Amino acid sequence: MKNVISLMIAALAGVLAGCAASLPPPELVNARQAYERASVGQAAQVVPAELHKAQEALAVAEKSFQDDPTSFRTRDLAYIADRKAKMAEALATTSVENAAAATANKQYQATQADIVNNTKANLAASELSAAVVGGALVAEQKARLDAEKKAADAQADLATLAATKAETITLSGSVLFATNKSEILPAAQGRLNEVSDALLSKKDRNLTVEGFTDSRGSSSSNLELSQQRADVVRSYIVARGYPSDRIRARGIGEDRPAADNATAEGRATNRRVEIVVDSAVQTQ
Amino acid sequence: MRHVHLAVVTASFLLAVGIAGCGSSPPINKEAPTAAIRAAEEVGASGVPTASLYLQLAKEGLEHAQGLAAQDEKEQAESMLQRAQCDAELAVALSRGDADKKEAAKAIDRVRQLREDNALPKERK
Repeated sequence: MKNVISLMIAALAGVLAGCAASLPPPELVNARQAYERASVGQAAQVVPAELHKAQEALAVAEKSFQDDPTSFRTRDLAYIADRKAKMAEALATTSVENAAAATANKQYQATQADIVNNTKANLAASELSAAVVGGALVAEQKARLDAEKKAADAQADLATLAATKAETITLSGSVLFATNKSEILPAAQGRLNEVSDALLSKKDRNLTVEGFTDSRGSSSSNLELSQQRADVVRSYIVARGYPSDRIRARGIGEDRPAADNATAEGRATNRRVEIVVDSAVQTQ
Repeated sequence: MRHVHLAVVTASFLLAVGIAGCGSSPPINKEAPTAAIRAAEEVGASGVPTASLYLQLAKEGLEHAQGLAAQDEKEQAESMLQRAQCDAELAVALSRGDADKKEAAKAIDRVRQLREDNALPKERK
């Protein structure tokens, strides 16, 4: 019995010793894990050569472990394999970071180019807008000048009109003619001579002699009388030396009264002869 | 007298063999791990958290190798030197990776800032 127990103890010790001998050292365990991690990471794609070195180092360590599991050489080879696996991982990370930096630098340059292009486009748009605005300003300025010119022309027309009206010479009918007559009264000849002499200094103007009556009597007779009186005055002025082709006579009748026909005074004012001196100078 | 002469010759021979024996054990080659450690220090590994540990391990490995060599454990010393060199090289790689990572982050941030300053969309496909 004692011998049997001794044999069992010896057998157990042998088994334990065998197990202890087959257990890998911590360095090898770490190397295996490091390689496993590196092989499933970026290293396989990015730095396959470095990963291959780690694989070879691990294989050497495994071989040493099989040959001499407990030797310092096995532990050191496993240690080196672990570092080579970590080295592969580190180089893979470096490569990825370098690629990221290169991509970022390209993006930076591309972005700068975009900004330059956008700036150029904005500048061109601004210039175009400025040109449009400038064109609008020019058009506005032209319109303003046109309006000012029109206003000036209108002012000039008004001035011309005023000048024309100012050169309308009004002669009282009561002074020139007897009632319902168209012969010039002798007393009026002096006044008419003064007017004629004044007109002779402006022979280059067209004259219109207009006869007016008051509202008494028929319109037709008034028109006829006014025409006769205008003709007489015209003839008188021509006789005084004014060019006949530049003076005409026109009977207006009772139209265009200058005063109220309801009163005697107004009617006297309406009986008149007006000599309109054209402001335009005739060259021929 | 003849015996004395033989003893002297024998002693001289043994001394010569002993001296020759000492001379045949050349010192370990520390050049490669030393250079790797110096490189790690130059790239600033001591200031990089992920790299500083391996730089320290490399230095300790070099010292350990020197101790083993002093104990005439040349084979173990050479093996330890290889470990130290691997640690130092890993420290260099991790330091450069850290610098590259910072540079990449800076480049990406520069692009983001440029686009923000110019009111451009954040992403560029």
